[in-house]
Amino acid sequence: MFLRSLLGLAGFVALWGAAVPVFNIPSYLLPGPIEVFDRICFLFERAELAGHIQVTVLEIFWGFLLGTFTGIVSAIVFARIPVLLRIFTPLILLLQTVPKIAIAPLLLLWLGLGLAPKVVLVAIVSYFPVMTAMLSGLRYIDKSFTDLAGVLRLTPWQRFWHVELPSALPGLFAGATVASTLAMTAAVIGELMGANKGMGFMLATGQENADTATVIGMVILLAFLGWAFFSMLEYLRKRMEDRFS
Amino acid sequence: MIRIEQVSKTFGQGKNSVVALAPLDQFIGEGEFIAIVGPSGCGKSTLLRIVAGLETATEGRITLGTSQLKRPVGFVFQDAVLLPWKTVAGNIRFPLDTSGVPRKVGDRKVEELVELVGLQGFENALPKQLSGGMKQRTAIARALADDPAILLMDEPFSAVDLMTREGLNDELLRIWQATGKTILLVTHSVEEAAYLGTKVMVMSARPGRLRKTYDVALPSPRTEETKTSADYLDLVGELKHMMRDADR
Repeated sequence: MFLRSLLGLAGFVALWGAAVPVFNIPSYLLPGPIEVFDRICFLFERAELAGHIQVTVLEIFWGFLLGTFTGIVSAIVFARIPVLLRIFTPLILLLQTVPKIAIAPLLLLWLGLGLAPKVVLVAIVSYFPVMTAMLSGLRYIDKSFTDLAGVLRLTPWQRFWHVELPSALPGLFAGATVASTLAMTAAVIGELMGANKGMGFMLATGQENADTATVIGMVILLAFLGWAFFSMLEYLRKRMEDRFS
Repeated sequence: MIRIEQVSKTFGQGKNSVVALAPLDQFIGEGEFIAIVGPSGCGKSTLLRIVAGLETATEGRITLGTSQLKRPVGFVFQDAVLLPWKTVAGNIRFPLDTSGVPRKVGDRKVEELVELVGLQGFENALPKQLSGGMKQRTAIARALADDPAILLMDEPFSAVDLMTREGLNDELLRIWQATGKTILLVTHSVEEAAYLGTKVMVMSARPGRLRKTYDVALPSPRTEETKTSADYLDLVGELKHMMRDADR
């Protein structure tokens, strides 16, 4: 299974490598895979690429953690106290419907060019899908599970930990997966708009210098980063499922 | 022992109120197997849910002669209600885990129960891998886990096919004899009620009420031969007649 998906990837790279000389594509439009690979190695050696990757990863990590944590906690609170949900819904919806790109400049103005504005932006985009998924998971518990909890005289805490939380878990992880792709985008957008470090900053620099190899290199690295992020969530989901079985 | 005194249930208030259960009296002795039979809307499930504490009676009183105050009854639902993320063993031990029973004691108890309901080899299976009959066996084992004196069953086998159902009924009788529980079983099958019960409560609808409680004098243990005996067939006929009569 893994080998076969690797085969598809290898085929794509081979096609890309073959197309560049065959169609005589100039390197400033589309450099070949070897050139891109060389550029990535060069950037690691000479331009502290590892440091830039670290910055982006940290932004995504802290932002995603903050967003999902707030999302989960507020969903639990909203499920317990529906009045609060009615009070906060317009505000949350407004924050959700406004294009995130429009918020980014504001955050940069307020919080500067460092880590903070990107972390906040990532947190904002991660919050909504996680909160809604968790909330619907908690609200639409099978009625028969409520009966079971009643017959077993479960305490509110036992009911939450043993019945409601595991019921909501599949939805929660679906929400987190959606949030993970949004989080990546938000971090890069934040960096594109104003930063002096990070993969988005490298992208912007590559664009300014018409350095196509760097831009493509960053895109590939971001794809790998997204894949690693997704795998980590899958791993976490399996661990959590085992925890409750 | 269960004493039901003038228990009634009314949903809604004033003009829009619906009587789900008219005042009902019944005494159920230790170790009896009571089958409650009746058409839809006769309040049989409501009565069971009141005994379980899932609903409160509008009026009247229920006394359970048991020392287990935290969980006086075990309950088997119509559609098993197993937690889908837990294995068979995990579901069976759920009542034990949530009442602070030590892990080792729980392990032993689960082993015993798995054997009692005949699920050896399926301890680590997930509910979605089980047949309907096996799900209900798991649910029965779970209901028995913390050893309640009273077992309440709400149409437990209505979702399984007839062959499986007859097998499960015999299993249930065996479990009842092995454990000495007081069982209250709701069913809409007159044949099932007559076959299983030491007493049969016949209920009727609009308003839900108890028509008559029959003492079942069939010899124990019940077997395939019971189902062809004249006494059994007479009783089934009479119960059916009573239910038809009650419908008018």
